[in-house]
Amino acid sequence: MRAARQVWSGVYNLILGLLTVFKHLGHKAITLQYPDERMPMFERSRGVVVLLSDPETGKLNCTACMACARICPVYAIDLERSEEPDPETKKRYPVKFEIDNTTCAFCGLCEEACNFDAIKLTGKYEFSVYDQKTLLYDRDFLQELGRDVPYEKRKKPVPKAKAAPKADPTSPKPEEPGSPKPEAKPEESPKESPGEDKPEA
Amino acid sequence: MVVNSSDRVEPAPGGRELETQEFVVNMGPQHPSTHGVCRLILTMDGEVLKKVVPDIGFLHRSIEKIAENRTYHQFMVYTDRIDYVSSMNANHAWCVAVEKLAGIEVPERAEYLRVIMAELNRIASHLVFLASFSIDLGAVTPFLYAFRERERIVDLFEMTCGQRLTYNYMRIGGVSRDVPKDFVSETKKFCSYLYPRVDEYEAILTENPIFLGRTKGIGILDLPTAINYSVSGPPLRGSGLKWDIRKDEPYSAYDVFDFDIPTGENGDTWDRYKVRIEEMRQSARIIEQALEGLPEGEIKAKVPARFRPPKGEVFARIEAPRGEMAYFIVSDGSTKPYRVKIRTASFCNLQALPVMAKDLKIADLVAIFGSLDIILPEVDR
Amino acid sequence: MFELEGIFNAVGNFLASFLGSPLLQIVSIIAVAGVVIGFLMVLALFLVWWERKLSADFQVRIGPMRTGPHGVLQTIADALKLLQKEDIVPLTADKKVFFWAPVVCFVTCFLAYICIPFGKGLIARDLNIGILYIVAITTFTVISLLMAGWASNNKYSLLGGMRSAAQIVSYEVPLSLSLLGTVMLAQSLSMVTIVQGQGGSFLHWYIWRQPLGFLLYVTAATAEVNRTPFDIPEAEQELVAGYNIEYSGMKFAMFFLAEFINMFTVCAIAATLFLGGWNPPFEFLSFIPSWVWFLGKSLFLVFILMWFRWTFPRLRVDHLMAFAWKFLLPLAFLNIIVTGFLIYLFE
Repeated sequence: MRAARQVWSGVYNLILGLLTVFKHLGHKAITLQYPDERMPMFERSRGVVVLLSDPETGKLNCTACMACARICPVYAIDLERSEEPDPETKKRYPVKFEIDNTTCAFCGLCEEACNFDAIKLTGKYEFSVYDQKTLLYDRDFLQELGRDVPYEKRKKPVPKAKAAPKADPTSPKPEEPGSPKPEAKPEESPKESPGEDKPEA
Repeated sequence: MVVNSSDRVEPAPGGRELETQEFVVNMGPQHPSTHGVCRLILTMDGEVLKKVVPDIGFLHRSIEKIAENRTYHQFMVYTDRIDYVSSMNANHAWCVAVEKLAGIEVPERAEYLRVIMAELNRIASHLVFLASFSIDLGAVTPFLYAFRERERIVDLFEMTCGQRLTYNYMRIGGVSRDVPKDFVSETKKFCSYLYPRVDEYEAILTENPIFLGRTKGIGILDLPTAINYSVSGPPLRGSGLKWDIRKDEPYSAYDVFDFDIPTGENGDTWDRYKVRIEEMRQSARIIEQALEGLPEGEIKAKVPARFRPPKGEVFARIEAPRGEMAYFIVSDGSTKPYRVKIRTASFCNLQALPVMAKDLKIADLVAIFGSLDIILPEVDR
Repeated sequence: MFELEGIFNAVGNFLASFLGSPLLQIVSIIAVAGVVIGFLMVLALFLVWWERKLSADFQVRIGPMRTGPHGVLQTIADALKLLQKEDIVPLTADKKVFFWAPVVCFVTCFLAYICIPFGKGLIARDLNIGILYIVAITTFTVISLLMAGWASNNKYSLLGGMRSAAQIVSYEVPLSLSLLGTVMLAQSLSMVTIVQGQGGSFLHWYIWRQPLGFLLYVTAATAEVNRTPFDIPEAEQELVAGYNIEYSGMKFAMFFLAEFINMFTVCAIAATLFLGGWNPPFEFLSFIPSWVWFLGKSLFLVFILMWFRWTFPRLRVDHLMAFAWKFLLPLAFLNIIVTGFLIYLFE
């Protein structure tokens, strides 16, 4: 008798499994046909790193303060500051800015560390190449990549504690409505000067 | 099942047993059912396993040594990669340990967000378990169904922090970004969507006689052996012990929420599977409660960039989806830790595999290995 | 108009008008063989495509889409790819046996179609031992598996080959016994007689009088063609990879295609013996040609087999053997005894 009940329960559960799978016939697929249809990336998606430029002047926002190079956990950023400030913008600028895309972990720490809206992770994830050496992106390539990337100037530049107030091109802009809550940003201490704590190679 | 396949034929009186010879077989690093690169050296007598020796180290990346050269903030990125399937939980463990070391008080909103993310990741990790376990046993379809659900969770994560696998979401003192506007409603929708899906997986697998034949009574791990081998997580709970760090040594905001700890009775493969299915439901419960009670406030405490914790050592553990994940940090007062030791669940659970697989067949070994839910990066670090 | 019987008769008469008798025999044999083999190759292509699309549908995805509209040319693309692969023969393999194993497998799967009625008057040869012949021929697959396992000179493929041979031989017994019920009902082994005995409406089909036989047959047939839940020989997740591990290129394609054709064979047999063959379910539907009904019923059973594959996990080897010998076989005997008894009572 127990055997018959076992057989009946076995058959019942087999049929239940069959029907559960059968229900999915004819449903819309959950997959996308990739090269023809692409998934739209979210606003905060973290992909390739780009350098942002000021929309008016077209110059890089970056002042080569080395904050991103210092925070990068895999030392993917190689940065060299100019000796003299740029005559137009009155800021120093990066003479060399290289990101090694083979090492970059797309963690976003550089974007968080930056005070000047200079570096951002975009949603671009298709950057396969045939030659590995071309994955070492230099400053101009990064600037080109970031040319059309929209960004919000949410961050206030950190004022230098002891220097005279200079005319700072990245003036603080008001909060845009609907943006997420202002994050408490006490991370960067005001005195970030280059030369200290070079990232150990 | 009606048929009993373990009837043994005794030799006739005065006759001899058939003499057999044991041989050694290599279940190599590349194999579809060892989830990752794990080499198992099997000593077999015909179809029966006599000895199983795991040979690990193929995925060793010396994360613990790297930690000595990275600041506490920078190391968060490496914790993602210790267990990439449940990366939020790995982040959480590091945060809990460092905050305990430095005595940092985390704001309440951040704690709730951490719990929500950790529990969502627990569900995602158990879905990966379900997918790979069922495909190891031959049922291919639940793999796709589980990943369909996982895509929704991963979309929620991408909405918040931008990545789909290695999130780097938590920071020491809180979380990195606040959740976007739609997050709460989308997550609530997801939780109510999840319950009937879990019932669907159960309908396909749990009482299926073929599945029962492959998993019930297979790979029994009795409780004293489990405790001796430091097994933790669902394998331990499957053996009958109701031990969960979220209830027994609560960290973060877990003492506020109301949830059950599912346990098994016999410690066989079926029990471990069932425990994880139930845990998915309980995690959805926790998330719903956390979303209801999500307070307003800061999302991160003020922690300096050149963070120097006081000199000392700390040992802190959390309940990761695979078991207990713990950090032992020795700090010498500088910005970089002096020594970090990571205790991962899969490493300790894997030790119990030879005991469980003794005198079973290879097909059973595949089922047991899948039920332990081993992730090789955790084993090798 | 679509009744193929008329077309074949017309062609046969045309050929008979100018060919002498022995030449006529030879030409007609070659022609019929050509038609059957051609049909089966197209069918195998279709079945492979259908399996991929059906499995994708069960799994909420789409399946092949790029080769041809909705991926219909995918199988041809796969066959072309396999043709171009290097034909690797292991150094220590037994070369003659290694070569002939896939040939044996491929040829025997066609031999069963001599006796399968595709429609009214569309049977290559109506042997009076029809079903017995088919069951005997399908057992040849065992020989080819053993040849493949042995010739590869690889202990894993030998184990896999022995295991699948054991599986097929074990399930032959309940398979043939479950068919005996219908033979008793039809009082003949000839396939055409069996189909004719199910004429009328669908209530005359033998499935209603042999429900247990049908279930046993479907279960044993799934095991015969090595499909999940009985697909231990093909499972990559197990350690032993199976008899075809050393085969590459076209030889592997032959094993693969033979499996699909075998699947259709067992479904065709079930459609003939239990579901009424080429008979329509209602008399008034007989304007639809008989071969359409036959194909429809067989493909319905193929669907059921594919459905099983994508739902169930795999049985372990010892469970598999125990299931055949200790569960299916007694039930098959029970079926025969009860059928015989009931036939005696009611006739």
